[in-house]
Amino acid sequence: MLYDTNLSDEEIIEKVISNDQEFYAVIIERYQKKLLRYASNLIKDEEKAIDAVQESFIKAFINLKGFDTKKKFSSWIYRIVHNESINIVKKHYKEISLPEGIDFKSEENIEAEFEQKELAGEIEKCLGEMPLLYSEPIELYYIESKSYQEISDILKIPIGTVATRISRAKILIKKLCKKN
Amino acid sequence: MQKELRNITTEVMDQIKKGKIKMRSRIYFVIGAFLTLFGLIICVITSVFIVGLMRFSFRTAGPLSNFKLQHMITNFPWWLSVLAVFGLVVGILLIRRYNFSYKINFKVVVILFVSAVVISGLVIDIIGVNDELSRRGPIKDVMRKHFQDRSVYPVRAFR
Repeated sequence: MLYDTNLSDEEIIEKVISNDQEFYAVIIERYQKKLLRYASNLIKDEEKAIDAVQESFIKAFINLKGFDTKKKFSSWIYRIVHNESINIVKKHYKEISLPEGIDFKSEENIEAEFEQKELAGEIEKCLGEMPLLYSEPIELYYIESKSYQEISDILKIPIGTVATRISRAKILIKKLCKKN
Repeated sequence: MQKELRNITTEVMDQIKKGKIKMRSRIYFVIGAFLTLFGLIICVITSVFIVGLMRFSFRTAGPLSNFKLQHMITNFPWWLSVLAVFGLVVGILLIRRYNFSYKINFKVVVILFVSAVVISGLVIDIIGVNDELSRRGPIKDVMRKHFQDRSVYPVRAFR
């Protein structure tokens, strides 16, 4: 790679905006794998996920001058992929509903029972059976390693809601995985 | 997968190099912000008018009260509200299209904004600032011309 990859995303974006458009390839290479995994988990179709990610990179490039470089680029690009993926999901698929007999009441201490690393493995297996409402925040937290603040930025929901959805998703995962 | 990943970089960069995709100029984003701000300002003005009209309708009494109210409604600058809605809708659409990361809950913003405007409109009307403004300063001439064009002679404000 010819480019100086020690630069932060935001520094690279500033270079791209100031006519060094070649640097955009660094951004694509930095994010495409993560974004493809994220989009694949949302869309559940690799071909469409590739289209969504490619379209997102194009949209991001077109709107780059509207991006505030004081903010995190990763949250911005994840938000674009989220929008693209949700559009595809709405167009092609029905939302997965909550399986019957599952509720969020639990007398057990889920937090203590599931450590983050163990949970990451469980999540990948059971994610497909969860409604998007819960699968997306938990995927961002455990698989993409995003903070609550970043998830809140990506999904445009308050941090409290992020925490609630992740907590409910943990209960769901446990019950879904047990069921399987 | 690796082949497909490489394709994303190649395809996107090819389109950029060939000039098929271009960055939008900053003016696009400035227009979005400007239209929103413009819409908000017009919205404030319209709302203050509406609140004044409502207060007037509640207070009217006497033989010519209905006529005065009808007259105010007929002469109300309704085009202002159309302009306000246009500015706000187009501005917000532009902002939302490019601004992916800002957490703006437009429903909450609109509710808060409308409440703030109604309250401030009431306060302005109670204090009598709008009446003072229509008798003094640059608004005086505008209002006088507006009423003269329509051959209307307001009771108190422009004597």
